[in-house]
Amino acid sequence: MSLRVLNPNAEVLNKSAALHMNINAAKGLQDVLRTNLGPKGTIKMLVGGAGDIKLTKDGNTLLKEMQIQNPTAIMIARTAVAQDDTSGDGTTSTVLFIGELMKQSERCIEEGTHPRFLVDGFEVAKRATLEFLEKFKTPVVMGDEPDREMLKMVARTTLRTKLYEGLADQLTDIVLNAVLCVRQKDEPIDLFMVEIMHMRHKFDVDTHLIEGLVLDHGSRHPDMKRRAENCYILTANVSLEYEKSEINAGFFYSNAEQREKMVSAERRQVDERVKKIIELKNKVCSGTDKNFVVINQKGIDPPSLDLLARAGIIALRRAKRRNMERLVLACGGEAINSVDDLTEDCLGWAGLVYEHVLGEEKYTFVENVKNPHSCTILIKGPNDHTIAQIKDAVRDGLRSVKNTVEDEAVVLGAGAFEMAAKKHLMDNVKKTVKGRAQLGVAAFADALLVIPKTLAENSGLDTQDVIVALENEHDRGLVVGLNHHSGEPVDPQMEGIFDNYSVKRQIINSGPIIASQLLLVDEVIRAGRNMRKPT
Amino acid sequence: MREVVTVQVGGFANFVGSHFWNFQDELLGLADDPAADAAFRAAPLDMDALYRAGETLQGVSTYCPRLVSVGSRGSLGSLSSSGTSGLSSAAAQELKVPTWSGNVTRSVAKPHGRNLFLESLAEGEQKPSTGDGAGNDSQKSVEDKELVECLENGVNFWTDYTKVQYHPQSLYELNGSWTNFDKFDHYGTAREVVSEWSQMEEMNERLRFFVEECDHIQGIQFILDDSGGFSSVAAHYLENIADDYTNTPVLLYCVRDPVTHGPPRTQRESMTRSLHDAVSFSKLSSFCNLMVPIGLPSLSQSYFSPFLSIQDVKPFHSSAVSAAAIHSVTVPFRLQNAGPASNFAHSSGNIDIGELVHIISGQGWQNMVTALDVAMPAPSLTDGNGLWNIKSLHSLTPEISDEDEDPYSVESLVVHGVMLAGGQRASISQVKDSVCSAYEGRSTKPKFSHLSVSPCPLAIPLPFPSIFRSNIGRHGEILSNHSERTQLPKGSLDVESVPMAARLRSSNAILPFIERRSLSLQKLGVARGTLGSQALRDWGFGKEEIEDMSEHLSKMVRMFHPEDGLTSDSD
Repeated sequence: MSLRVLNPNAEVLNKSAALHMNINAAKGLQDVLRTNLGPKGTIKMLVGGAGDIKLTKDGNTLLKEMQIQNPTAIMIARTAVAQDDTSGDGTTSTVLFIGELMKQSERCIEEGTHPRFLVDGFEVAKRATLEFLEKFKTPVVMGDEPDREMLKMVARTTLRTKLYEGLADQLTDIVLNAVLCVRQKDEPIDLFMVEIMHMRHKFDVDTHLIEGLVLDHGSRHPDMKRRAENCYILTANVSLEYEKSEINAGFFYSNAEQREKMVSAERRQVDERVKKIIELKNKVCSGTDKNFVVINQKGIDPPSLDLLARAGIIALRRAKRRNMERLVLACGGEAINSVDDLTEDCLGWAGLVYEHVLGEEKYTFVENVKNPHSCTILIKGPNDHTIAQIKDAVRDGLRSVKNTVEDEAVVLGAGAFEMAAKKHLMDNVKKTVKGRAQLGVAAFADALLVIPKTLAENSGLDTQDVIVALENEHDRGLVVGLNHHSGEPVDPQMEGIFDNYSVKRQIINSGPIIASQLLLVDEVIRAGRNMRKPT
Repeated sequence: MREVVTVQVGGFANFVGSHFWNFQDELLGLADDPAADAAFRAAPLDMDALYRAGETLQGVSTYCPRLVSVGSRGSLGSLSSSGTSGLSSAAAQELKVPTWSGNVTRSVAKPHGRNLFLESLAEGEQKPSTGDGAGNDSQKSVEDKELVECLENGVNFWTDYTKVQYHPQSLYELNGSWTNFDKFDHYGTAREVVSEWSQMEEMNERLRFFVEECDHIQGIQFILDDSGGFSSVAAHYLENIADDYTNTPVLLYCVRDPVTHGPPRTQRESMTRSLHDAVSFSKLSSFCNLMVPIGLPSLSQSYFSPFLSIQDVKPFHSSAVSAAAIHSVTVPFRLQNAGPASNFAHSSGNIDIGELVHIISGQGWQNMVTALDVAMPAPSLTDGNGLWNIKSLHSLTPEISDEDEDPYSVESLVVHGVMLAGGQRASISQVKDSVCSAYEGRSTKPKFSHLSVSPCPLAIPLPFPSIFRSNIGRHGEILSNHSERTQLPKGSLDVESVPMAARLRSSNAILPFIERRSLSLQKLGVARGTLGSQALRDWGFGKEEIEDMSEHLSKMVRMFHPEDGLTSDSD
């Protein structure tokens, strides 16, 4: 072996050993994640060395937490995590599918098939399955008024795999309304416009949708109102604090008087800016019961706060950069960068602004806005790990609704698609392939069944019984999925179980690619500097 | 009072920070202790500048550092990221999951044991100072000896010796799923971490939390371990800070563990290091207002060795000196400005970060990279005929020239807690006179020098390494009549406080430091077809960006050659 000559320390795994290393890694990863899948899966609680708790039922989070070392497993995990990045869900399914493809291949390879045939078969099967998916999907018409019921079912299907039913159902409406709120005609949905805030609360787990915005800070002046109705909102990015411009403008002065003068000139500039805001307030509010709120991205120092408070204005400083954008979408008006040309048109509107104090943490609610295009999901939970898990679930829920709106289609869930696709591959596609690549198609078809199988397994049902029952129904031409309570076949349409089209497509697409690459590896060389074992 | 927000990024930076906050905590404790030295009880330092008052959800009031600390995951040891010691594994087994009705799998990692020191801290909290009687004293000192010993022998995490209560928003652990933080040793390794939007956003949010509550923030002090990938994290962080807090000056200390200076194993490694140094220096210097590189390749072999016995391999040791120096630099930021009349009695020369930046980088060479010199302990006043010995200041900044004769240099000197020869504390005016006359005696005077004086020395907290040689006295005085040189090093039990002097100096002594980085980027990165340019591409830099960085560095070098600025432009 020529490599030995170059580097006597190189470690080489030959053909079958290399293949088995890959297959074992894929199976290992599959074993870790398989209990995650579906509404009957197992939630994982990870406790770190310092007692930090992480709660997750999400394959994506779990893969990121695991600190995987095995190079093959890393490759699979990265694919799966990329799946989550692009479509927001399906990490677990991807890992299961890749693992199953490898497992099915192993069987064929042991019987003497060359991996190349399998890979060819995968390619054919993949294309056929994708075509089948196009036919199988349920189109959803997204007109001006989207089909709320359908969106709701998709969101519920996702959420029920992450949270218990009661909580999931409560969140379903919230995520649906949130997405519909930020959706603007002819524009892609920007989920960043849904702010997700959390509050620690003693006992309950509770979640609300606030049409408007919740800011995680309050006003910093004791005389400012804590609650105001009918408010004009000024969104600003203007410094209202006296900055020592000596830093820029020369530091030396010959006497105290001169210094005094410079300081007061500086101060005057800031006061001018504050006065302009107060002028606008007086113009739009005087004689009415309307209020005025300034939300500034830059700082506001105590003298400025004082002036504003005396004019009856509520002022918040150092707002999040992203909230500037959200505020304008929620309340209207525009974010101003200078106070020079202030008009009423710059102002937004909110029916109610109030402050909520929890210990040292303050929250400002900007609510009752007109025609909002930004909103806040407020999560209350008893501790950080619960909040974090709900947050993850909310993100997944939001993604699933967004995907549906953009795909304009959904796919029947509960394993129905996989069953139907398998039947299609075996009945129609396999015949068209010549030679041993047929084995690849068959392996692919069998591998698809990993989804209904795992669902059944996690529900404590007998896998074979379930698969046989489902296959019988499909042979009779009925499209059915698995009822995870009874193990009986059900019509997912009736039950309202729908998956995202784009997620399914992505799984079918990426799974075989990785599996093929891994199958075609016939030598593993451990000689690189980075692969060296620590000395 | 003007607030300072502190940011610590990276492993060694947190080691330094842990010492730094221990010093502050010790000062806080001594201010309330009737038995303490008068210099501490007068509380000449305004702690509100660094600390914030708050309360927990349960209504308990807290006083925590205004701090954001960023480290890699798992670097917090037995401290949980919310700043409390986490729950035990048994409790975790019991914990209910309110969001899921199905099965739960628990995977509980073996908890990091708390060392003796942390155990005793936790005990102290449970029964707050019940018996301070004389009877307990002897027993207590025996116990303290054990604690000091346990820290000497086993510090693995920076949290192992911290005695400060941190705010729940303060500690943040970076998590890179595919990043190996054990090999986080150059700028390129952080690519995945910094590209993950949510983590950078969270870091910004943490900082915003502390900045929002400041009425008049004077600046941000940023302690960074710039020996590895954290440089890149910090560069992105600093860029955001520069965007969000435009007029807030940032004072950056780049600290390095002496261990990272070990000889490179391969040629490739030495190239990677040079490139990393150049790139991170260029990036960091463009996003901060004043930069202070700290970290000699070896402290045990340095000028400090007559007084300090430091084991370079222990970050617990080496970080202590940097932390003491940083503490001294920050003293002027929190001296009480009690009006011109009372100024002289209490302290003198208070200055805020903005003014410091302006003094140092606004004049002379217009250079924002400064050397940090420190005297630990500072000699007493009468050494050398009533003149204070400026030569006792030694540099903590690596790679600078020893030359000290620069007529354009600009300095800011901080002297705190120095003694007279007789063992009393020197008064403010005595220190001032002495330092002034010392400067008078020098052949080349700096162009501008600012002096801050405080009577308050560096208080040595219990969890401080035993790094003092036996010729150091109880109050940090240098004993001239020490005979037994072989004695064991002294620690916090034998030394209560140490007078300190520190100086930030912008002079052409720093030029070799900048030149080396500029050259290595030119030679390794810009030149076509080199291994280095390939590496830089792997780190995610485009050709233009590399040229910009290289231009930025050569501009900094040119600052020191005003007369031939034109000719080097045309090269």
